[in-house]
Amino acid sequence: EVNMSVERSMEVSQLLAKAELLKQGAEARLYRTRFLGKPVIVKERFSKRYRHPALDEKLTHRRTVQELRAILRCRKAGIPAPAVYFVDHSTHCIFLEEIVDSCTVRDHIASTQQQPRGPEQLERLAEKIGQMLAQMHDEDLIHGDLTTSNMLLKHTVDGAESQLLLIDFGLSYISALAEDKGVDLYVLEKAFLSTHPNTEVLFERLLRSYTKASKKSEPVIKKLDEVRLRGRKRSMVG
Amino acid sequence: MHLTQELEVYSDHKVTQLLFKDVKNAAELRQSAVEGKISGALISPTLVLNPFQVLVAANKAVHLQKIGKMKTRSLFSEIIFNLSPTNNISEAFKRFGISDGDSSVLVVLVHNKGNTPPLSDIVSRVNGQQVPVDDLSSLSDTAKIKKFFKITPQEEKIGTLLDAVVCRMAIKDVL
Ligand SMILES: Nc1ncnc2c1ncn2[C@@H]1O[C@H](COP(=O)(O)O)[C@@H](O)[C@H]1O
Repeated sequence: EVNMSVERSMEVSQLLAKAELLKQGAEARLYRTRFLGKPVIVKERFSKRYRHPALDEKLTHRRTVQELRAILRCRKAGIPAPAVYFVDHSTHCIFLEEIVDSCTVRDHIASTQQQPRGPEQLERLAEKIGQMLAQMHDEDLIHGDLTTSNMLLKHTVDGAESQLLLIDFGLSYISALAEDKGVDLYVLEKAFLSTHPNTEVLFERLLRSYTKASKKSEPVIKKLDEVRLRGRKRSMVG
Repeated sequence: MHLTQELEVYSDHKVTQLLFKDVKNAAELRQSAVEGKISGALISPTLVLNPFQVLVAANKAVHLQKIGKMKTRSLFSEIIFNLSPTNNISEAFKRFGISDGDSSVLVVLVHNKGNTPPLSDIVSRVNGQQVPVDDLSSLSDTAKIKKFFKITPQEEKIGTLLDAVVCRMAIKDVL
């Protein structure tokens, strides 16, 4: 039960008022600031005015908890995700490690596609994404909102291969069902192909790498095919 | 030698850490803290990797005090409790509070921005050698930390041990 009488932390709100607003989303705002001497990203979930306050508080709290559990589960399994430094449940804020010198996979693909040796580089990246998602699904973790904006590439100084990280676990949950994993991949496929034109071959490469890396990929890919078919039928009817 | 850091969220608060080794009077110090003669948290450094870990615990303690949700009776015991990856209070005290036989101790003070903490009083009470707080890692036990915090080898590959430790401290309430 969420205790409605708990005081909200004024201080966290005051800090955010002075922080740099990075993004205003439908569910949350992202800020950049410093915390205990380190650069951090603060994700603040806000209330939905049209929902009943008590229900809203409960749902917002649940989302925050889901996100925190998913981050830890990923990290324990060796899937890179930003570390959590502080959580304020009274204002639904998560203070995350800022991944410095990083860009989204979305921006990386957009800028690399144009370059002469771009396609080869992106093939390697697609393989890495496939492997990471296979590892995540083998842990029975469903991300729930896979897009190329929810993946970061951290550039390394020594010229070594950049690190791939997952972010934004607000819709994630635990499931062993092939259907849920298939839908997770379908969501990514839709986002991927609409964000990045002419990448069918690249996405195919991602899926092949997923299939190879996952111990349980067969039923997942079968479900993905089913979901695709359903999607196509729906668009033919509608 | 000591380390003072502002809590950015609670910008009127500062945290000061002092580290001592070759301590001969741990039992006496513990008694002084119980009697309120030392207003600070007395921490055994064995499972403390870095001063940042202590700052994360202190920030959380001040936060929970402000919103009236502390799990223990004082700010200092709350700091000790927050250092632990589990929600077991007595285990946290056993692992992170000082014991009578300890030979090193980390003293953590929380004070207002304008006030100077009673550093010389603390130093005079400790029968031991003050060392820079950044020497913490040489007094802690990495193998014990990995075991107690249940850090997996996969997790060590993707990030620092400090981030793995702090992440568990920050999230433990909802696990
Ligand atoms: N932990 C992080 N470190 C660095 N940048 C981040 C982090 N989380 C989110 N971002 C950036 O914030 C933007 C919005 O994030 P999101 O709403 O989670 O997709 C992304 O484009 C990322 O570049």
